[in-house]
Amino acid sequence: MPMPQKMGRGDEMGRGPYEKSGIINDTGLPPGKTVEEHFEIPFYTEDVYDEYDRVIDRKLMDNELEINVKLWYLPYGNKQSDPFIWQDYTQKVTVSE
Amino acid sequence: MTKTKITMMAVLACLASFALIATTSFAAGVGKDGTIVAKKGKATTIAELVAMYDSTGCIDCHEDIHDEWANSAHARSVYGTGRTAATMKTALENGVLSWAYSGATKPEDVEVDHLMGCAKCHLPQLADATDAVAKEFIADIYALMDAYRNDDEEKFDEMKDTLLSLNINCLVCHNRMAITHKWTDGYPQDGAVYGSYDGEHDDEAFPHAKVSPIMSESIFCGQCHGLGPNFELDNPTQCATAYGSYLWAYTAEGGTETCQECHMEKSGLGHDMQSYRSTVMSDAAVDFEVEAYGAKWRDGSLMSPKAIVKVKMTNRTGHAIPDG
Repeated sequence: MPMPQKMGRGDEMGRGPYEKSGIINDTGLPPGKTVEEHFEIPFYTEDVYDEYDRVIDRKLMDNELEINVKLWYLPYGNKQSDPFIWQDYTQKVTVSE
Repeated sequence: MTKTKITMMAVLACLASFALIATTSFAAGVGKDGTIVAKKGKATTIAELVAMYDSTGCIDCHEDIHDEWANSAHARSVYGTGRTAATMKTALENGVLSWAYSGATKPEDVEVDHLMGCAKCHLPQLADATDAVAKEFIADIYALMDAYRNDDEEKFDEMKDTLLSLNINCLVCHNRMAITHKWTDGYPQDGAVYGSYDGEHDDEAFPHAKVSPIMSESIFCGQCHGLGPNFELDNPTQCATAYGSYLWAYTAEGGTETCQECHMEKSGLGHDMQSYRSTVMSDAAVDFEVEAYGAKWRDGSLMSPKAIVKVKMTNRTGHAIPDG
């Protein structure tokens, strides 16, 4: 999403088109290019403590985790105003018991 | 005053007149007096502006194309989903009326120039209207918003219909905006529709068909789906920048397709030009690949299981996403 520069000056983002005259940053997808994102999501675990409050074990609560990846277009910059899900992908991921 | 002095003054007056005529003639360009607005005169009401670019006659022979267009955002370029009109009110109040040097402090002060930041693309024909139309336009947007707030359905529908009557219709594209380089190709003439051929056109009001040299070129769309800040305005705005992205990030990298090829031909949507809200367009626009797998990260003596997720997104369009 382009972060338009207010009146083409400084570090502040403009509100509507009437204030926008530049771009400070852009997280959109450029034409013809592949953009890669990398995420690491922890499984649900519970730590086990000894008498000295030290973590001695990390118990896996469930070895299956459902991953849901959504590509959102947020025309107004948030999910309250006219959000649009461009892509929606779900997959179950497992680790050994 | 002597006879000589009077004669000299008369000669100077004539030279001044000649210079004025010559300057005016050059600025106007040859054939500018044949445009729709030149022939009909500037509209003084919204109804006159709608009548000036009335395209209902096109439906008789081009009903399918009309129906396609009617489903597109071009058919509601001012009203939008209601949000476009509301945003114009915001632009007026937070922008024009708040700026120290705009010359407008209340809605009644608004002139055509104040609205062209929005109207340049949402209603380019507003440039062919008097300031009275600008005031009527703003009054109608306020009336729409007030009716919405007061649950006055009748007034809301009346204002909505008025705003829906202002749009990017057949004549706006196939006449008014059909030529970008007017000193090279001539000014769009009243009585002519511009497209792919020269010849006769079976319409009393528009009996001539003429070639628009840009109708199938991306520059045609770029007139509105633009470059960046509109520096020709006294207070530049920046809305759509798709044509800038198309030129400098797509064609500059070897892209060769036009806007029309993707949005009209390959999509099969014709004049129902759509963007991301159409699955035909959104599905074709982005390749989306996800790879996810589990792994156990060793955190000292502890195992921390995690899912590793790799996402690849490839923009297959000829412009940045999002843009417009």
